[in-house]
Amino acid sequence: MSKPKVAFFDFSCCEGCQLQVANFGEALLDILGLIDVVMFREVMSEKSEVYDVAIVEGSITTTHDVERIKKIRATAKVLIAYGSCATIGGINGMKNNFDLEDIKQYVYKQDAKYFETIPTHPLHKIVKVDYFVHGCPVYQPEFVKVLKCALAGLSYVVPDYAVCVECRFNENVCMFDKGISCMGPVTRAGCNSWCINNGNICYGCRGMVSNPAKNGQMDILKKHNISLDWVENKMNMYNKPRELDIDEQKHKG
Amino acid sequence: MQQFVVLKKENFDAFISSLAQTQKVVAPVSRGYNNFSFQEVISGKEISLKYIPTILPPKKYFLPPRETLTAYNKRENALNAILEYEKMVIFGVHTCDLAGIQCLNMVFVDKPKDINYIIRKNKIAIIGLECNDYCDEYASCCVVENHLPNGGYDLFFTDLGDAFIVHINTMLGEELVSKAAVFKPADAKTLKSLESLRQMKRSIFKDEVNVKHENLKILFDSAFESKVWEDLNKRCVACGNCTNVCPTCYCFDIIDEPNLDLNTGVRYRNWDSCQNEPFAKVAGNENFRKERSQRQRHRYMRKFKYPVDKYSRYFCTGCGRCSRTCMAKIKLKETINDLAKETK
Repeated sequence: MSKPKVAFFDFSCCEGCQLQVANFGEALLDILGLIDVVMFREVMSEKSEVYDVAIVEGSITTTHDVERIKKIRATAKVLIAYGSCATIGGINGMKNNFDLEDIKQYVYKQDAKYFETIPTHPLHKIVKVDYFVHGCPVYQPEFVKVLKCALAGLSYVVPDYAVCVECRFNENVCMFDKGISCMGPVTRAGCNSWCINNGNICYGCRGMVSNPAKNGQMDILKKHNISLDWVENKMNMYNKPRELDIDEQKHKG
Repeated sequence: MQQFVVLKKENFDAFISSLAQTQKVVAPVSRGYNNFSFQEVISGKEISLKYIPTILPPKKYFLPPRETLTAYNKRENALNAILEYEKMVIFGVHTCDLAGIQCLNMVFVDKPKDINYIIRKNKIAIIGLECNDYCDEYASCCVVENHLPNGGYDLFFTDLGDAFIVHINTMLGEELVSKAAVFKPADAKTLKSLESLRQMKRSIFKDEVNVKHENLKILFDSAFESKVWEDLNKRCVACGNCTNVCPTCYCFDIIDEPNLDLNTGVRYRNWDSCQNEPFAKVAGNENFRKERSQRQRHRYMRKFKYPVDKYSRYFCTGCGRCSRTCMAKIKLKETINDLAKETK
């Protein structure tokens, strides 16, 4: 059996998640034994119009993006949304806080008229996504897990519980005990509390759990004398496009 | 054979160091911010003798957060059991956590027997350590009658100032003592000091809630429809901390994961929690406990009602970890008092 052809693509993003693959080190050799990488702008010059698995980084922010991702979807047997920009809109989603015209003016000044833009969309709002690898950047071991599932034809279920769960498994001292606020309680796990293990807080980059206790989390943050605006910003840093999902759910009733 | 022996404080370090030369020794170690955790030590100096309950209870050595159970090979149609265990001594287990281990033993030795658990348990020596006073305001060990030692250890240390008096409870404990060769027989005076310490403890430790030990079960028998759970619904963020740090929560999930060759792989279990959204979710996306109030209620029932029906024992050890770790400040003692208020 020939190895599945894998192509990497990027939309609005920093390409940092693809760098995580380039930075794999020796483990990359094992992965390359399993797949045939036919296109990966960051590490090789070759290109290919034929591929089985598309690994797509970045969010959809122009009508041109919409056409392009639809074409990728039509070609690929399996599409993996890769990194927070692709899975939840991520940092790019902050754009959705503002009027699109104002944003264009702010960024491009007198040249704004040459650019068209649409609100930031995660991939699944435009095309069907088969696998999600959340994170900013992605957590390498989780990417390997997802890749194995994709190649073996198994489903991968993103944990729908808080980062705190894995953080307790790792027996970290809670950030709140250190007097520092943390988005762990409302952010979905799967990263093995990577940031907190290394002394940082959780920024909520993986997106919120499906049923976040927003009021409870607000109460907790308020108890620590954090202003409401700041809390709102903190919640929206990665998660603004979540509103698109919530609107859709409301529409469906 | 002496039931009680004495270890002078100046010999404590030598005792731990000599133990650590022949096997893994774990003990409470300070992590800063008044947090402690059981970690491997090689000398007595690393150990925090005065500590409040650790982030995770010693449960993590008996039922690891993640444990591989089997390895499979699809091509060969093979499934082989894997046993992960290690010989070790746990030093410094408080009476609440000794009770927690006793509870886990009841569950995992009961049918269907959990062979992995039983084999691992038999490799672990337990050295208890007495609390001479309350650790903090979250503890409720007295109302569940865990403030005084009640078995479940090989050796039990009580700090009497310049020395420990040590109760030898098992053959294994006796071996540890005779090998170390730093213990002396306890004289009448030391035994008297132990007795007066216990007397003093009886005056310090008082029921921490407005419900008597024997009435806790009765309270929870009629608590299912209580409004108290609604209040918890507003506050709980379902982070799962309360169950993950609980010495008697033992729910786990089983997951298969292929290796990179996609032919072989492992089956492992990791801790699960009734507080997690998917815990009670079934096919068709139905969720039996969608509301956080229902999940919190379930957690309390699993401590004060269901295990009492099955094992005639409270599965709350009074360690206070769930209250200490809760970011929403849901406190066990408060919940019990609120329930009691309602029934009056």
